[in-house]
Amino acid sequence: MLFNSAAFLIFFPVVTTAYFLLPHRFRWMLLLAASCYFYMAFIPKYILILAITITVDYFAGLSLEKFEGRKKRWVLMASILTNIGMLAFFKYFNFANENLALLAKFIGWNYPIHSLAIILPIGLSFHTFQSLSYTIEVYRGRQKAERHFGYLALYVMYYPQLVAGPIERPQNILHQLHTEQRFEYQRVTDGLKWMAWGMFKKIVVADRMVLFVNPVYNDPTQHSGPALVFATLAFAIQIYCDFSGYSDIALGSAQVMGVKLMKNFDHPYFARSISEFWHRWHISLSTWFRDYVYIPLGGNRVTRPRWAFNLFITFLISGLWHGAGWTYVIWGALHGSYLVLSILMEPFWRQLSALARLDRLPRLKIVLSTLTTFSLVTFAWIFFRAASLNDALYIVTNLASGWHAYLAQSWHTIVQEGFQTTADLGAYAIVNALFNILTPLTEESRTVLALTALALMILIVIEVLQYRGNFLEQLHQKPVYFRRLVYASLIAVILILGTSYASVQQAFIYFQF
Amino acid sequence: MSSDVRTFFVNTAQVMLLTVVIITITFLAIKPDPNHYFAGSLLQISLLENTPSPRIILAGGSNVSFGIDAELMQQTLGLPVINDGLHAGLGLASLRELEEYIRDGDVIIISLEYNLFANQDVMDGDPAFLSDWIEYSPHRIKYLSNPWEEAPDIYAIMLQRKVNRQVNTYLFGGSLNKARGVFVGTKYDLNGDFIGHLQEASMNRQKIPATPYPVSGLQEGIFVFLENFNQIAHEKGAKVYFEAPASRKSNCKATGEAQMADFFKVFKERLSIPILTPFEEVCLPNKYFFDTEYHLNAQGRELRTKRLIENWIRVTAASK
Repeated sequence: MLFNSAAFLIFFPVVTTAYFLLPHRFRWMLLLAASCYFYMAFIPKYILILAITITVDYFAGLSLEKFEGRKKRWVLMASILTNIGMLAFFKYFNFANENLALLAKFIGWNYPIHSLAIILPIGLSFHTFQSLSYTIEVYRGRQKAERHFGYLALYVMYYPQLVAGPIERPQNILHQLHTEQRFEYQRVTDGLKWMAWGMFKKIVVADRMVLFVNPVYNDPTQHSGPALVFATLAFAIQIYCDFSGYSDIALGSAQVMGVKLMKNFDHPYFARSISEFWHRWHISLSTWFRDYVYIPLGGNRVTRPRWAFNLFITFLISGLWHGAGWTYVIWGALHGSYLVLSILMEPFWRQLSALARLDRLPRLKIVLSTLTTFSLVTFAWIFFRAASLNDALYIVTNLASGWHAYLAQSWHTIVQEGFQTTADLGAYAIVNALFNILTPLTEESRTVLALTALALMILIVIEVLQYRGNFLEQLHQKPVYFRRLVYASLIAVILILGTSYASVQQAFIYFQF
Repeated sequence: MSSDVRTFFVNTAQVMLLTVVIITITFLAIKPDPNHYFAGSLLQISLLENTPSPRIILAGGSNVSFGIDAELMQQTLGLPVINDGLHAGLGLASLRELEEYIRDGDVIIISLEYNLFANQDVMDGDPAFLSDWIEYSPHRIKYLSNPWEEAPDIYAIMLQRKVNRQVNTYLFGGSLNKARGVFVGTKYDLNGDFIGHLQEASMNRQKIPATPYPVSGLQEGIFVFLENFNQIAHEKGAKVYFEAPASRKSNCKATGEAQMADFFKVFKERLSIPILTPFEEVCLPNKYFFDTEYHLNAQGRELRTKRLIENWIRVTAASK
């Protein structure tokens, strides 16, 4: 079930009302049943995968508390192999098989194994990692094994974060699920506000960006530099609003029922370095990799080359986690390389900054570093979004092409039509110069340009206000009728500008992982 | 009920009420755009209401509004002729509307684009086009294929498009209106013909894609609808004819002559509506097309209208 579907508009209030009406001892059953229903709205039979991993991890958790030493390690290995095995089979089998077949062809060997017709279970990587974190934490002695099978199942399957995170740790969630939650006005309404904001980001901004991204990325070879750059920038906005929008809805809906999920996004595009970006983007995954991959590899308490290796390998795996394809691997490798280079070149940057006297101009330094970080991140998104490695390479090698013609034509349009501009035509020359001659902008996307501009303005204003302080707290201090007007306006904007009924409703991008 | 729950329901109700007020005000405050291509449909409806019978009514998508000269037909035949063609994106809704205006003695010449025969979704109409069309006359909602089911989406889309238009005006001074090109609602003549393209140069012929017309996989629903339409017209004392849509030679070629012929053969077998266009006249040279494979330019429009007049005289003379 999609958060941005009509079905969820019924599902959520029904489940939440029933939750608060039921005595605490029955609530886990309601939430588990609701989560199963939520998941089975996609492909029902895949619930069996969850049943298997939950059962294995339940008994693994109990055994981990019972055993010590070698036996304990074997139990952990069994749990990891089951979880990763599921993930490997459903997500990576065909990828590995296709690459082996290519290699076999290259060396002239007759490779006998064919690819399988597998549909990737929705959110597999998310619930697998969440389930894994339970057994690892029990193994490390930081979490007691859960005796109640239903609560463990609910920990893995809790519907707000089941298919796209945040990837939780048992220490944060399990005790909250056990605790009796009462209806608290402030908490419930704050949760609803987060949900509304998430809906805005998803169906008003992200889905609108699709109109600018897809025409280019579905057939990049038909486009030159300006269109490729424009579509890539639009994708940077799309993926942020899509995924952080999902996280906001997840956090909000859990908060309504008294469960506080971990923050998954913290204004990542305001980051001043790649390292800071990863402290702000998909935080639950970054910390998962930090705790379960990077630190076990030695983290930064090793030699510098080994540290660089640890970072690079962690991001390479992170890339592969996102998708079984070389484009994702390169995306991960790019981020790994950015971080390694930033470490290795830190003295150089410091010298350069001193030479340019940037320390005397702190604001300029912030702007420059923020823009550089955003550009690097956006460049890497090309590999994340491109349908194939060939497409990605075409885009990368053609980013600089066609600018001369574009700028000349734009200037010509401005000069030619600018002189004919009337009050009615207004800024037509500029709009036409900027967008009309970009091939991806079909007539329909030109007509949605105004709403896109409006939606982006709202997004930027609220994001800046949130970045500067606690926006909700500031809002709570305003007069009650002003607040009502703000909430009503936000809902009206979602209903009016939302794309759900305009035949462009999109699933969340991260569902595919 | 705890005080928190009570407060929640009261405050939520207030916010919801305020939301409804904001949406209603927005909806009512933004008026239909007089320059939209569909604004011409008001003139066409007024002609259907006020022109005395007997009369000839030309119905169909934009291949009719762009490509048949009702004024010339009226002058030649000495009968009132109304061009009621508008847009294929409306599906069959505009024909359902026409049903209400049929009177004794009327002759209805329908010319539907091939897409309407081959795709159920096209028959139902595009929600964006339908919402624009309904905005000019709200009672048109009843002409949708499933009015109750479709109404919420149609009104939501209508509201969104109204706001989009208004925001365009605020942000860009209405400049994006120019993106409409010739599709302007004020450019209709007194017979309901669209004339906005007549003085404009045709698009580069190579730029109009030579894609095949969808003439296979014809949908049962369209035949049922047309036969029913014919029956209703007959009961009201009117006659219905079919005129082939403006068809471009390159696209006909891409479709294949046999496939084109099959379309008209199936049409004749399935329907009791006579076809006015001889098969050899269906496809017209590329030079007669304006911007799409269905839109004729001034010369093409003149040629097609003259042929239609001849065919009409021939067929009606033969039937006497």
